[in-house]
Amino acid sequence: MSPLIELTGVSKILKGQQEPRTILDGVDLEVNAGRSIAIVGRSGSGKSTLLSVLGLFDRADEGTYRLDGQDITRLPERRAAKLRSSHFGFVFQRFFLLKHLTAAQNVSMALVNGQGWLPRRNRRAQVMAALDQVGIAHLARNKPPRMSGGEQQRVAIARALVRNPKILLADEPTGALDTETGTSVIDSLLAATGRGCGLVLVTHDRDHAARMDRTLDLVDGVLTERVPA
Amino acid sequence: MIRLSGRFRSALIIGLQGIRARKTRTLLSMISLFLGVLAVVVVQTGASIAERARLADVELTEGIDGTTVLELNPTPEAAKIVVDTLDGSTGATALVSVAATIGEPGVTAVNPGGSPFDEDWGAPQDCTPDGVCTARPAGQAIDLQISAMTSDVREFRPFRHRSGEWLDFTTIPALAPRLVLNEEAARGFAEHRVPAELHIPGATSNITPQFIGVVDDGNTSPTAYARLDELNNWLSAEGVVDPNGGNGVQVMLAPGNPVAQVLTAKLRGIGVDTYARTINSRKDMQDELKLFRLIFLAMAALVLLIGVAGILNVGLATVGERVEEFALRRAVGTPRSLLAGIVLAETLLTGLLTAAAAIGLSAAGLKALSALFGDQQPFLRDVQFPWEAGVAGIIAGLIAGILGGFVPALRAAGIPIATVMRA
Ligand SMILES: Nc1ncnc2c1ncn2[C@@H]1O[C@H](COP(=O)(O)OP(=O)(O)OP(=O)(O)O)[C@@H](O)[C@H]1O
Ligand SMILES: [Mg+2]
Repeated sequence: MSPLIELTGVSKILKGQQEPRTILDGVDLEVNAGRSIAIVGRSGSGKSTLLSVLGLFDRADEGTYRLDGQDITRLPERRAAKLRSSHFGFVFQRFFLLKHLTAAQNVSMALVNGQGWLPRRNRRAQVMAALDQVGIAHLARNKPPRMSGGEQQRVAIARALVRNPKILLADEPTGALDTETGTSVIDSLLAATGRGCGLVLVTHDRDHAARMDRTLDLVDGVLTERVPA
Repeated sequence: MIRLSGRFRSALIIGLQGIRARKTRTLLSMISLFLGVLAVVVVQTGASIAERARLADVELTEGIDGTTVLELNPTPEAAKIVVDTLDGSTGATALVSVAATIGEPGVTAVNPGGSPFDEDWGAPQDCTPDGVCTARPAGQAIDLQISAMTSDVREFRPFRHRSGEWLDFTTIPALAPRLVLNEEAARGFAEHRVPAELHIPGATSNITPQFIGVVDDGNTSPTAYARLDELNNWLSAEGVVDPNGGNGVQVMLAPGNPVAQVLTAKLRGIGVDTYARTINSRKDMQDELKLFRLIFLAMAALVLLIGVAGILNVGLATVGERVEEFALRRAVGTPRSLLAGIVLAETLLTGLLTAAAAIGLSAAGLKALSALFGDQQPFLRDVQFPWEAGVAGIIAGLIAGILGGFVPALRAAGIPIATVMRA
């Protein structure tokens, strides 16, 4: 089976006012369906940058990006937006929930794409299913300011899952949570890999990293497999 | 199409959510925009009402556009030629104006000289050939103009029916002339009790007229309308015309009526010059009013522009505050165009809400004005809020929404997605 995502020799070079800085340096990476990858590394090593290339937020300056076997290295923004909504789910360290919307409305936000919204009835069913997957269907009508951090992060995960993405990208999703809550958030993410989703998790937490199928180390933009000790 | 409408709908719904989440912001935008939109609506309302009032009357007093009017010096021969030439022809009416008095003979009328009843022009004097003049004693009489017609003048001047009947030109002329009064004359007869006796200078006997109806002819001086042939029963065609009294003979003709040339030729034959003109008053007045309206609208647009600056200011601040929301929306696949659409939808809805408020206030204000001052100002009597003003208000709101939302929309669409990773 061909990998979901295949990066070959991807580099990201930042051209600021000063001399160019290489943030990612010849990264090779494969993400497979149903498998999980942890990416660890020091602060500033380029983990978030790698995720934003993976999630089509940003383009690689060198190398190729294959998604489902197709070369999408140079993709117009409009098609990238479409792929983001059809293939990817994102979870961030901060939850980015809209305060004025209920949990259900926050989740259904991800159901808007270039075609507009899904029909209302399908939308409701999908939103409730996603909230149920992370165990907070009973909070559907609550607004974020009245939820705990763990609950809010679950809403964010439900928002990432609602489109049944092929790949979940999580950037330190437990960074703002206590150990116990963090563990249950990782449980929710791993549960998605059980349904065939590929997972890329950026984390500082060794225990969380150890629960993934592979752990990769990013040092100054160079990605290396961490050999199990 | 389905794609577009789906997008449009999402933009509207998300925009509405945004408005509901930021009510204070929306209110501030609306306040800054309100005066501008209100100014546009008020200018349009005023202009439309003024135009309607003035244009409506100009057709009554001058005639509808395109009508040819022949004016001629009233000599008895000319009058006879006019009457004979027009006899039985359609699309042409001759009007002979006669000064008349109804009431006691030989007295000063309550409105000397046929002036409007509220104006006082002083008592007329009778002068003997050797230059001795004496004022007539005051008495119960009303001076008015009688417009005697060869056929129905309403073809050219669409009088508004007020009460009673209009003259019937198909019957045999009645012996006592039937008169239709205009509103001012009707008011005079209602306010002053005068004997029903009609005097016309040059006529030897007096007669009792029949008042059969009242029309609005747009004229503020008392006037009565009669069939010329009914006056002639009692006063010869030549007698009706008094060369010294300055009474006019006016012929109104439909556009392109060949009678005009025949009549002009015949009159020239007896040495009477005619002066022809084509009525264009409505168009002239419209052009003039349009200029005024443009000047006032330009001023209103300036006020509106200040409002746009306000909405722009609030909009930019809001986008700055919502950077993360927009970055996140892009991350979950919302295209830039929809994002821009959401921001535009918010300002457009704000503009429309403002327009609705301004239109509502103007309509209510107009109603109040009409109720308070309708009695004194006829143009305020049962005025309807003009639809043009409503349309102008909505357009002003939309334009302000687009102008005020455009830059914030571009900003929102340009927010990099990676913002969510660095927050
Ligand atoms: N837009 C940008 N402008 C300038 N420098 C940037 C920009 N984006 C990233 N960088 C730099 O790129 C490097 C990698 O950043 P990145 O956010 O990927 O690190 P990270 O591994 O996610 O760090 P952390 O663990 O602290 O989140 C950093 O040195 C950062 O300063
Ligand atoms: Mg990071």
